[in-house]
Amino acid sequence: MSGGMDGMDTMDEMDARAAVAGDDDAATQVFDIDKIFTDGITTQVLFDVNLTVRKGEFLAIIGASGSGKTTLLNIIGLLDKPTRGRVMLSGRDAAALSEDERARMRRDYLGFIFQFHYLSPEFNVLENALMPCRLRGRAAERENTDRVQGLLERVGLGDRLRNRPSQLSGGQQQRVAIVRALANDPMLVLADEPTGNLDSKSGRGVFDLMRELNQATGKAFVIVTHDEMFAKEADRVVHIVDGRIE
Amino acid sequence: MIDRFSRSVALRNLGFNLGQSALTVGVVAISVTLVIFLGALIGGLQRRLISSVTGSVPHVVVRQAERDPVAAWDLPRTGPDAPIVVGEEVKLQQRKMKIEDWAVWTSRLRDFDPDILAVSPVVEGQAILARGEKRQSISVTGVTPELHNKVVEIEDKLVSGRFFGLNGGEAAIGFKLAEEFAVRLGDKVRITSSEGTVGDYTVAGIFDTGFAAVDGRTVFVTLRDAQSLFQLGGAVTSIGLKLRTIFEADTLAARLMTQMPYEAESWMEQNQTLLSGLRAQSQSSNLIIGFTVVASGFGIAAILIMAVVSKLREIGIYKAIGATRRQILATFTFQGTLLALVGSLVGTALGVGLTLGLMQVRMAASSTGRTVEVFPMMLTGGLIATAIGMATGVGFLASLYPAWRAARVDPIEVIRGA
Repeated sequence: MSGGMDGMDTMDEMDARAAVAGDDDAATQVFDIDKIFTDGITTQVLFDVNLTVRKGEFLAIIGASGSGKTTLLNIIGLLDKPTRGRVMLSGRDAAALSEDERARMRRDYLGFIFQFHYLSPEFNVLENALMPCRLRGRAAERENTDRVQGLLERVGLGDRLRNRPSQLSGGQQQRVAIVRALANDPMLVLADEPTGNLDSKSGRGVFDLMRELNQATGKAFVIVTHDEMFAKEADRVVHIVDGRIE
Repeated sequence: MIDRFSRSVALRNLGFNLGQSALTVGVVAISVTLVIFLGALIGGLQRRLISSVTGSVPHVVVRQAERDPVAAWDLPRTGPDAPIVVGEEVKLQQRKMKIEDWAVWTSRLRDFDPDILAVSPVVEGQAILARGEKRQSISVTGVTPELHNKVVEIEDKLVSGRFFGLNGGEAAIGFKLAEEFAVRLGDKVRITSSEGTVGDYTVAGIFDTGFAAVDGRTVFVTLRDAQSLFQLGGAVTSIGLKLRTIFEADTLAARLMTQMPYEAESWMEQNQTLLSGLRAQSQSSNLIIGFTVVASGFGIAAILIMAVVSKLREIGIYKAIGATRRQILATFTFQGTLLALVGSLVGTALGVGLTLGLMQVRMAASSTGRTVEVFPMMLTGGLIATAIGMATGVGFLASLYPAWRAARVDPIEVIRGA
């Protein structure tokens, strides 16, 4: 709640900055982000981070482990709150929102790909991919079924729609997770080490797929990785060193 | 209330963890079976105890109030003058307690309260039954059989002969009395009343009510025969009432007393000890039922907490991709409540089956071949509805804490912890 007070002070300033940045073009923007963890000992992991992700952009964030790159991704993804600074998504300041409102923002504007696929073993491939739509209700699920099914076909899983996740290979599971991230037609897809759990061949395949979907759908992708090879193929690379963007 | 996401996740969880679901259903089912069985048994026992009291007597008896006039020589002398005595000198023992205007009161009583199911005028008195050399003191009850049967059932308890349509000069007697005197239908017995009137009666019916006092001492004759045996003219000695709600007998009797020139006595006044025993029994059975239900609630909660803990990661991901706390809360409360509902339905089937099965077990209760249930059971819709409602309610309450735990899961911790 104390963050809300800070927000009031800087709101006008922020709107001004957003205007200067010309933000019709931005998928998301973060301003002056500090993140301090106070888990017993106080550690500051992010220092005054400013970042704009443009629409349709394929952005790689790279950095050593512990550099704060995952924390930054979580803040962009409204999973974590910054200690100081603003997160603007779709013209709204996420810091001012309640937990459930942020959940709905994540659902409607963002797609998530994690290091591990995290598919639900109780549901089949199509149901897993449609889960973000199901969270919005029956109508949303019905409207998006054809499109999501098309995406699953596109990633080579057209004949596995009714299979359980456990019946798929690691690479295939991660493909389902990628389609799930796109199910609600989000503005931005966030991926945290999406190839980290895969062998290099599957990892290559998953990376290429994300790049391909980025170009085909025009969705912005932000990928956290420590693999320089992948980073080189991104539109833009952001290096994080000790909590600061270099 | 429960959206598609919560419903589908809850149902899949249940289906995917069949063992866990079956365990929960089993815990609830057993407790509901117990509640229904215990409830039915205790209800049945109470009904049997109560009917052992009320089955042979009217629920409320209206009779002439007993008065104890003070003898003239016992009156306090307040002044130098002797007291003035009003009335005639009578022998107290011979004072008849009778209701002359019973016909009026019988019809008024029928309309007095909808709770009064039946009204029967009765002549009761002591007499000696004799056949050959054998004699025994008995209680003669003069009734209109068709009316009286609605107050105290006799017709259904007949071993042989008839009760309805009893004619003048005919008597219906208890089977123990019949055995004692070795009389059969059509045999003659002699009744000498306490008034000294003698009458010969043909045995027209033999009954077995299961109440020793009735079967071994009571002789039913027609109202008119009893009136002449006890020299009552057209009067009766009491009016018996049967009520719909037997536990209202007390209050109804009290109300009647305020509006009648007679005394009204309920079965409850005569059986205070039994009633307080029944109350204690009810309380202890409620206690047992309460503990059973609470225990099953803890069972549900424990199993659901396990389910939540094993699903922390999935819950975290659902939240990360946009599930609200409300949706997670709904998922797990729905899951718990549904388990409890299914469990209580299974338990109801088991409990009702067990109860109905035990109700079939009967044993002989008398030499006439009459049988009684070994387990007196009273199965009511109310009991079943209460058991289902209570178990489901407890399931809902028990799921609140696990659901709240689930709703509080922080997606970051799940992702970070992986």
